[in-house]
Amino acid sequence: MAERRKLRGGMLLLTVLGAALMLPPLVFVFDQPIAHFGIPQIVFYLFAVWALLIAGTALLTHALPPEGSDADKRDGER
Amino acid sequence: MLSADFVIATAVGYVGLLFVLAYFGDRRARVNTKSFLHSPAVYTLSISVYCTSWTFYGAVGNAARSGLEFLTIYLGPTLVFVGWWFLLRRLVRISHNQRLTSVADLLSSRFGKSNRLAVLITCIAVIGIAPYIALQLKAVTSSIQAVAGSSEFGRGSLKGIDDVGLAFGVAAAMALFTILFGTRHVDAKEQHHGVVAAIAFEAVVKLAALLAVGVFVVFVGGGFENIFSKAAEVGVVVDATNTFDSRWLTTLALSVAAIVCLPRQFQVTVVENSDENHLRVASWAFPAYMLLMSLFILPIAVFGMTTMPDGSNPDMFALTLPMAFGQDALAMFAFIGGFSSATSMIILESIALSIMVSNHIVMPLILRLSPAGSGDGQGVTSLLLIARRFSIVLILSLGFFYFFFTRDSDALAPIGLISFTAIAQFFPAVIAALFWRDASLKAATAAIAAGFVFWVWCSFLPSFESVSPQVAMLLDRGPWGISWLRPEAMFGLDGIDPLAHAAFWSLLVNVLTLTLGSLLTTQSALERIQASVFVDVFKRGQATRGNFVRGSATANDLFFVAERVLGERRAAALFETEARDSGVDPDMLEPSPEFIGRLERELAGSIGAASAHVMLSKVVSGSDVSLEEMMQMADETQQVIEYSQQLEKTSAELRSTARQLEDANAQLRELDSQKDEFLSQVSHEVRTPMTSIRSFSEILLDSDDIDVDQRQHFVSTIHQESLRLTKLLDEILDLSALERGERTWDNVPIDAEAALDRALAVCEALLRQRGMKVELGERAQPTMVEGDADRLCQVFINLISNAVKYNDSDKPVIRITSTIKAGSYVAKIADNGPGIAKRERKLIFEKFWRGPGGMADQGGAGLGLAISRQIVARMNGALDLVPGPLPGACFRIRLAVMK
Repeated sequence: MAERRKLRGGMLLLTVLGAALMLPPLVFVFDQPIAHFGIPQIVFYLFAVWALLIAGTALLTHALPPEGSDADKRDGER
Repeated sequence: MLSADFVIATAVGYVGLLFVLAYFGDRRARVNTKSFLHSPAVYTLSISVYCTSWTFYGAVGNAARSGLEFLTIYLGPTLVFVGWWFLLRRLVRISHNQRLTSVADLLSSRFGKSNRLAVLITCIAVIGIAPYIALQLKAVTSSIQAVAGSSEFGRGSLKGIDDVGLAFGVAAAMALFTILFGTRHVDAKEQHHGVVAAIAFEAVVKLAALLAVGVFVVFVGGGFENIFSKAAEVGVVVDATNTFDSRWLTTLALSVAAIVCLPRQFQVTVVENSDENHLRVASWAFPAYMLLMSLFILPIAVFGMTTMPDGSNPDMFALTLPMAFGQDALAMFAFIGGFSSATSMIILESIALSIMVSNHIVMPLILRLSPAGSGDGQGVTSLLLIARRFSIVLILSLGFFYFFFTRDSDALAPIGLISFTAIAQFFPAVIAALFWRDASLKAATAAIAAGFVFWVWCSFLPSFESVSPQVAMLLDRGPWGISWLRPEAMFGLDGIDPLAHAAFWSLLVNVLTLTLGSLLTTQSALERIQASVFVDVFKRGQATRGNFVRGSATANDLFFVAERVLGERRAAALFETEARDSGVDPDMLEPSPEFIGRLERELAGSIGAASAHVMLSKVVSGSDVSLEEMMQMADETQQVIEYSQQLEKTSAELRSTARQLEDANAQLRELDSQKDEFLSQVSHEVRTPMTSIRSFSEILLDSDDIDVDQRQHFVSTIHQESLRLTKLLDEILDLSALERGERTWDNVPIDAEAALDRALAVCEALLRQRGMKVELGERAQPTMVEGDADRLCQVFINLISNAVKYNDSDKPVIRITSTIKAGSYVAKIADNGPGIAKRERKLIFEKFWRGPGGMADQGGAGLGLAISRQIVARMNGALDLVPGPLPGACFRIRLAVMK
């Protein structure tokens, strides 16, 4: 049960962190007139945050047993 | 070059393909509930209806005009899906439980099944979505013109038709198509598997088309790096200096609200959801889809700006770039992709809106106008379908008119944001509905209405600036010259982006009204019930899923209602299942409150919660549950707490009662055995004198030759024995009379000391006979108490004789003292006998108590102490056993001294 709670906590953190990373002032940190491979750094940054959010959600959701599944029940009995 | 006829023919052919897909999808989904169509992949793709032609064409234009801003439209929904566990899961669960059909249904159901709120939301949605639909019409029109209109000979049958006519044609075709598609039948759960299948297919097409264009652009442009550096050379740069301002925040917030509240998004994400676990996949797959969609937006925009001639519409880059490079096939594919994104949006949005219109506006009207029990079985279903068809036409007409009036504004994305701002007005209420128990109907209605008014003034009205000089004037000067009411500078808030301005004011007023209003107003009983149903949806053991309609209704009436809405087959199936479950014949079915509740939810799935509630309330007489009952149901948590407290209290009570019972039982057993013992003693004692009386009287009767002396002796024995018997019986009678208070009793002033002295005198012989030493301790002065002198003397005699009788000591001692203490006369009679065992102390004053077994032979009826206590009680005093100065028992008499 504790693990489930932590996973849910992780989801909340990921959501809040994702929002924080997309908003000023954090976004200003990466908003520099630098280009990597010709592409402005901020474009790289935003797409990277985006991709990380997707990957993080996929991982967390995968780790969280589905509702009503056997793993869930085992968890509940523990 | 592509000809207009070819383009239009392709579009029509594509629509035909979609129709076939939808048709077979529907059939397949019906037959096989485990088919591919029920998979999370199709679910995710159907959510991708979020990416409309706004994305396909508008995002490129937006990127070309204002850099990275287009990303917010996809980052906002990404956040919502990353946090799916907290919001979407709750929505889906509630929707499954409550059979929600739309966002209007959600809010109306939560706020006490209010139909007024549903009507308000439906109206706002229909008006608010009009710009969005106009956007699609504009995009399709522009794209047809872009592919076909670029050459003189390419216009073909479009010759002489301007963009308005073209848009009208597109709108009409879309209306027809949507009607054919979405209103073939009324589904109980408002799930349209066929449509969803077509939408999913379109999602794949539009993604593939945009990716194809993107890859082509990157290929032609010589890689990402080349595109950006070449663009920089001609002065085209992705300018991010002013990107992260209030507008960035606003569009991000609006897109968060839109992904939840847009009618079509609510439809695909919540209503069409067939399995909660599909959300798990969509949570990352949908953001990934959007990421892929946006991946090439920036290169296309930058490349377009670099290579295309000045003045070309950046919204159409995805189409015009391949054509500029002579790739007609790719351009055609891109056209189909853009067409897909537009059609899927229009179809789903107008289906979702038409459901809202028919369920929340038309249905209640029908219910109001037609008395219960009229109309035929098919009536409601076909009426619903007709209502939906008309509302689809209405919705597309509104979209077309908006397009007609604002056709001169050129960019796509700003139009969409106007709709987003309107729809975002629902978001505070939705959040409050899910998480805030105290949010009230009045506050929610007022909040949405107020937000809408601000939207109309600050966002909707200004969009007509270019076509209406009056509006332009209004924007410039304010109404009647009141400058602080200028739509884009309310209360003098000037100089910020108009979108941020409109969103800020409308949402601020909205949220303030909602929170303040909820704090100031009270909820109705139904609201409170629904609030706890919504807020506590994940709480365990929520068996009370609101059977709010209760009372008597015949199965016939209910069946009639169900048949009108669900159609005969489904209604019959429903009733048969119920009859089978309760094990009775379908004709004999007695509708239980649970069944009525289930029926209401089932009906709500077709016509919305408010209408279903009204409809059933009409049939179910005495349907209103008493307020008290509702209140009890309302707060489930409260109820559980109360219940457990009650349980605790009851169990504590039970424990103490059990203890008392145990004590009483022990006492009873003791008394019972005492009584048995006493009875045998009494029988024995009665029997002994009776035997002698009988035998002596028999001798006297039978023999005549008895001398006078002997006869005299016999007679006196008989007399003595009769006296003994009489005394025993007298004592018993005396006690019972005392106990029942039968005897009249006069308390008069008497001298207690005199009574004690007299008792001592009476007992002197007895004391001397046993050789008992009498210790006379401290003695009180003559003291007047209220009582009966003879009776008090009787008590003293009884106590003294008991002390003598039960004393088995070699040197028996009795100690008698009397004092005045705290206004009471207290006399103590103590002895050095065996005393009274602890467990018997409670019993000695009971009737029939005769001391422990060993003492039983001391004679006496065992009534002395009981009588004594009764007497003292009658004199308003007390007789107790107290710890005394000698090893044996010590009895204390306490009587109030007369003043």
